[in-house]
Amino acid sequence: MKKNNPIIAIVFWSLVSFLTLFPIYWLFVISVKPAVQLFSTPDVMLSDPYWGNYAKVWGDRLLRSYMVNSLVISTGNALLCTILGFFACYALSRFKMAGKESLFFWTITNRMAPPAVFLLPLFLLMTQVYAVGDFRLLDTRIGMILVYCTFNLPFAIWTLRPTLDGIPKELDEAAYVDGASSWKVITEIVFPLCRPGLAVTLILTWVFAWNEYLLAATLTNFNARTLTTGLSEYVTTTGTEWGIMATISVFTLIPALIVFGLVQKHIVAGLTFGAVKG
Amino acid sequence: MAQVKIDNVIKRYGAVQVMHGVDVDINDGEFVVLVGPSGCGKSTLLRMLAGLEEISDGTISIGDRVVNDVPPKERDIAMVFQSYALYPHKTVYDNIGFPLKMAKRPQDEIDKKVTGAADILDLTKYLKRYPKELSGGQRQRVAMGRAIVRDPQVFLFDEPLSNLDAKLRVTMRVEIKELHQRLGTTIVYVTHDQIEAMTMADKIVVMRDGRVEQIGAPLDLYDNPANIFVAGFIGSPSMNFVHGQIVNDGGVRQFRSDNGLMLPLPHTNAADGTKVTYGIRPEHITISDHGVPLRVIVVEPTGSETQVFAKHGTDFIDAMVKDRFKAAPNSEVRFAIDPANVHLFDRATEQRL
Repeated sequence: MKKNNPIIAIVFWSLVSFLTLFPIYWLFVISVKPAVQLFSTPDVMLSDPYWGNYAKVWGDRLLRSYMVNSLVISTGNALLCTILGFFACYALSRFKMAGKESLFFWTITNRMAPPAVFLLPLFLLMTQVYAVGDFRLLDTRIGMILVYCTFNLPFAIWTLRPTLDGIPKELDEAAYVDGASSWKVITEIVFPLCRPGLAVTLILTWVFAWNEYLLAATLTNFNARTLTTGLSEYVTTTGTEWGIMATISVFTLIPALIVFGLVQKHIVAGLTFGAVKG
Repeated sequence: MAQVKIDNVIKRYGAVQVMHGVDVDINDGEFVVLVGPSGCGKSTLLRMLAGLEEISDGTISIGDRVVNDVPPKERDIAMVFQSYALYPHKTVYDNIGFPLKMAKRPQDEIDKKVTGAADILDLTKYLKRYPKELSGGQRQRVAMGRAIVRDPQVFLFDEPLSNLDAKLRVTMRVEIKELHQRLGTTIVYVTHDQIEAMTMADKIVVMRDGRVEQIGAPLDLYDNPANIFVAGFIGSPSMNFVHGQIVNDGGVRQFRSDNGLMLPLPHTNAADGTKVTYGIRPEHITISDHGVPLRVIVVEPTGSETQVFAKHGTDFIDAMVKDRFKAAPNSEVRFAIDPANVHLFDRATEQRL
C-alpha cells in the first residue's frame, strides 16, 4: 500500500489552520488598537496592545445587558430544543405511529425556507396572538427563546434521530425486564447513551441562537436585544467604530469557544460499542 | 420457581395471524426449549411470555397468576437476550446489579448478590470492566449474571449462544445446564439449533409457522416423531425420507419407492398399496453385504464417523457409519436397515402412521 507523505499533510493542515485562525487573530489585533492607529498604519502585528476598547465595552451597561440576553436566550433555547428534540426523537424511534416518517420530514421542512419568510408571521404571533393581558412576547427573552425553537427544534430532531435510532431497542427491553419504569429506561439507559449526540445538538443550537442576527434585530427593541444586534449600533451615519466592533466580536467568540471546549469531550463516537453483539 | 401455562395463545399483526393457538404447559423447575426454524414464532412466544409483545388472544400464566396485562417488570422473570443487551455505559458490576438497583434493594444486599453471581459465573475479576472490554463468552455470562441476581420465578433465554463460536457454544451450553441444575429455576429457552435443544432440554417444544408440532422429552421426539417435520428437524444429520408405497411381494410386505427401491418394512397396520414416506435416520443404517444396493455419490470422513451419500435413481439416502469406509464415486454400496428403526409417515398428511 502506498504510504502518504506526512510533509504534505503537515503543510496542508498548517495552511488550513492559518486560513481559519488568521481572521480571528486579526480581529483581536484590531480590538487592541486605538481608532487612530487602525487607519494610519494598517499592521497585523500585535505590539503595544491598547485595552481601551475592552474597558469601554465592558463598562457599557447596555452592552453588558445585551451579553446577558444573548447568554440567557442561547442557553435557554439550546436546552429547550435539545430536551424537546430528545423526547421527540425517542417517540419517533421507539413507538409505532401512522405517518411517522411524514411527520419527521414535515418537521424538518422548517429549515428549508429562509428565516426572513417567517418574520412577518412571527411578528404577528408575538404581538397579536400570544398575548396575555398587556404581556406580549415581542422583545422578551422567552419570546426569542421560542422564536429560535422554530428553527432549532427541527434541527435538533434531525441531528438526534440517528443517535436514538442507533441505540438498540433490546437495551430498553432488557431494562424493562430488569424492572425499570419507562422514565428509568430513559434516564438510566437511553439518555446517557445519547450524550455525544446531545452535546453536538446542544452546542450547534446554542451557536445558532448566539450568532443569529436577523430575527433578533427585527423582533427585539430594547429589553431582549442581543450582542449581535449591538454590533450594528456602532455603524452610524457619522462613521463606524471598528475597534469597538472588533472588541464586541471577540466577546461573542469567547463564550462559543468556552461552550465548545466544555462539551468537546462528549463528542466522541463509539460509546455504544459492546452493547450488543455486532 | 413457578409453573408456566401458555393457553391457546394467538398473535396477530394487523390482519396477519402469526401464532395460531399455542398451548404449552411448563412444570416447576423444568428446562423447556422452544425450537424451530427461523420465523416459526418461538422468539415471539418468548417475548409474549416476557411481556415485551402483546397477546392477541389466549392466556399466559406464571405461577397462579394470569400475566396477559402485567408489565415485564412485574412478571418476576429474567431474560437473557441473543444480543446480550448489556448496558455499555455501565461496568460489569453495575450491569449485574441493575435489576436490584431498580428494585431499590439496599447497597449491602446488591454487593452480596452481585459478588455472589460473579463468583458463580467466574466474573469476579471483571467487575470493574465495561462490556466493550469483555469477550463474547464473558459478555454472555454478564447477561446471565444480571438474570441470576433477580432470583426470578422463570428464566427466559432468547438464542443466547447463537453469537458465539462453535467451541464456546459447547462450553456455555454446559454452563447453562449446570446453572439450571444448581438453581433449579424454571427455564424457557429459545433456539433454532436442535443439538442445543436435545442436549439441554427436559422438554422440547417443536414449532413451525406459529403452531406447535410436537412437545416431548428429547429422546421421545427423536424416537417417536409425530410427523415428517419433527422427524426431519430433530436429529443430525437429518432423517432420510423416501416416497413410495407399501407392496406385498409374494407374501412379503415391503416398501417400494417411486423409483423402485425396495426397503424392509416395520410392522404396520397400513394396508398394501398405501402411499407412505419412509424415514430412516443415517445413524441407523449400516453397511453390509446383505443390504440394499445403491450408488455412492460422496464419502465424507469426519474422524469418529463416516458419512456416506448414496442414491438409487432420484432417491437419495445417506448413512453415518462408525467404521472407516472408503469408496469411489459411482461404486456400489449396500445399506442395511433394521426395520425396527424405520418410521412411516402418511404421504398426504405427513403424520406418523
